[in-house]
Amino acid sequence: MSEKPALSVSDLKVHFPVGGGKVVHAVDGISFDIPAGIAFGLVGESGSGKTTAAMACARLNDPTDGTIRLGGKDITHLDGDQMRQARRDIQVVFQDPYASLNPRERAGAIVRRPMDLMGIGTPKEREDRVDELFATVGLRAEQKALFPHQFSGGQRQRIGIARALATRPKLIVCDEPVSALDVAIQAQILNLLGRLKAELGLSYLFISHDLGVVQHLCDQIAVMYLGQIVEIGSRSEIFRRPMHPYTMALISAVPTLDAGMDAGMRLKGDPPSPISPPEGCRFAGRCQFAQDRCRQESPVLSGDPDGHKVACFRARDLEVVALREELTRVPA
Amino acid sequence: MTSDTPLLSVRDLEISFRTGGRDIPVVRDLSFDLSAGETLGIVGESGCGKSITALSLIGLVPSPPGRVSKGQILLNGEDIVTAGEDRLTRIRGNEISMVFQEPMTSLNPVYTVGEQIAETARAHFGSSRAEAWDRAIEMLRLVGIPSPEQRAHNYPHQLSGGMRQRVMIAIALVCEPKVLIADEPTTALDVTVQAQIFDLFRELQHKISAAIILITHDIGVVAQMCDRVMVMYAGRKIEEGPVRSFIRDPRHPYTRGLISCIPKLSRDPSDTPEPLFEIPGVVPSPADLAELKGCAFAPRCNRAINECLLHSPALTALGPDRAVACLRQEEIPA
Repeated sequence: MSEKPALSVSDLKVHFPVGGGKVVHAVDGISFDIPAGIAFGLVGESGSGKTTAAMACARLNDPTDGTIRLGGKDITHLDGDQMRQARRDIQVVFQDPYASLNPRERAGAIVRRPMDLMGIGTPKEREDRVDELFATVGLRAEQKALFPHQFSGGQRQRIGIARALATRPKLIVCDEPVSALDVAIQAQILNLLGRLKAELGLSYLFISHDLGVVQHLCDQIAVMYLGQIVEIGSRSEIFRRPMHPYTMALISAVPTLDAGMDAGMRLKGDPPSPISPPEGCRFAGRCQFAQDRCRQESPVLSGDPDGHKVACFRARDLEVVALREELTRVPA
Repeated sequence: MTSDTPLLSVRDLEISFRTGGRDIPVVRDLSFDLSAGETLGIVGESGCGKSITALSLIGLVPSPPGRVSKGQILLNGEDIVTAGEDRLTRIRGNEISMVFQEPMTSLNPVYTVGEQIAETARAHFGSSRAEAWDRAIEMLRLVGIPSPEQRAHNYPHQLSGGMRQRVMIAIALVCEPKVLIADEPTTALDVTVQAQIFDLFRELQHKISAAIILITHDIGVVAQMCDRVMVMYAGRKIEEGPVRSFIRDPRHPYTRGLISCIPKLSRDPSDTPEPLFEIPGVVPSPADLAELKGCAFAPRCNRAINECLLHSPALTALGPDRAVACLRQEEIPA
């Protein structure tokens, strides 16, 4: 692994003051690397901080602490024109294809805009690039003249993807890019993202609450709970050998096509408040395996240095392992 | 748990919307039955008529421009289509409840969520204020809202989207309806909360043998929750059958497409996943359909032949409890 990671995040914190001296610990000390050409998935329940973390990586909100390196370059404190130029390499595809396109601009101009802002190429080169991008994402060149409302949801997401590709970025942050789309359209967009990754050698930071989608697209996965990463590993490690009880609960809650696959593991209650996160392991209050130690000390993410890591004192204890075996048994 | 006489029976339903001076049907020739204790799944993409069908069952088709232009909706033999507004008000909540898709717009912003649940309980059971309030708190607890005693005093805007959705579900379940219609009830929720909500639905079913209509795009949810499934495309029923055969042996190419285009969670994922199956194109608009002679799915179907573009296929029985509307269903391998 001599090549620099596409993105390297170290001890990232994003805190929001909410008045009265209170602070929301939305992202509370996360570290991960995204190697070049890899799709990296961040999963977790609403409020886990996954979107805040991803937006901080694109510097769309301000990190409170930690460093963000994009292709080896520290972008944590860049601003103004320097940050704009750095965004050549990192672009975002947003969740809502209706709200993220300017309704008064024609589709061609929307896709050209990042190149205009960053001063890339001559006007003629930009126009040619827009044609090329339309073809890449499966739109016709004559659709450049249309306005966003004249497209379907799936087509709008294609415009969003074309815009993100315009500056030839190395990394694209995808924030729930298919969750607003119908199932049939979702497959079209996921296949497009998969094809672009293979053809252009792109890396993705992919946010989704849908584990099926994440499993399909992402090579590496980090599971977030209340602002922290509780488990991280490759696709096969996370789904074949989940080690954190929270990861197991998430996987167990996904309805599958085989009746009787529901192992009946249920999480009670909601995550605690990110304003005053509890002492010790943040999941302890909802964890069926929690012991006294879990409520007093915070477990550290540990394991294989370049591979599967988990933040749980009990991950290797017999009863946790036994539940995992029950959950991950592949039906005959 | 199912009995022979259906609790709800929909007969030849047509729902039309008036646009540009003419009536455009958005649901056509729709018939189905629902028995006590049964869960029927309705699947299909947006724009196929699922939600408007659900609204028609509680007399809520927005009128004008919409109306039920043909057919009957019989609840215990009583036609909802011709029922007066007073009668409908009594049916809603007492006999049929609905969980809507948008929790943001379906709650009253000027009452606390506790009051909104209690109001429903008072109207239905004639309970005292104190009893109804206790019942509201109990319901909030059941739908998994933490510290329900405090949350009951919150207004909708003080709750997260997921919590608002759970309040909606509490209101729908509080008076123990005989028919519960849930239109994408858990789409906005995390899977962990979704699992809790479905446990509640099952409890309601065990307790009072309620019938449930579950509208969803999630085939996994269908597999876990439903007894029978009805697939709608462009306003028509194109396939119907028991859930096992729907998943194992779908007959309509659209049904097959819907099942194969979703990424399914595997316990043993491949490191190099195959691309997903794609259904090309989009659902035709009702106005386009009016011009169409053949099968509405034919332009997107990888098995369509000339015949499919000329004749609209009728729903054909494939046995006592299965039906499909496809000219080529016999030629499609199992």
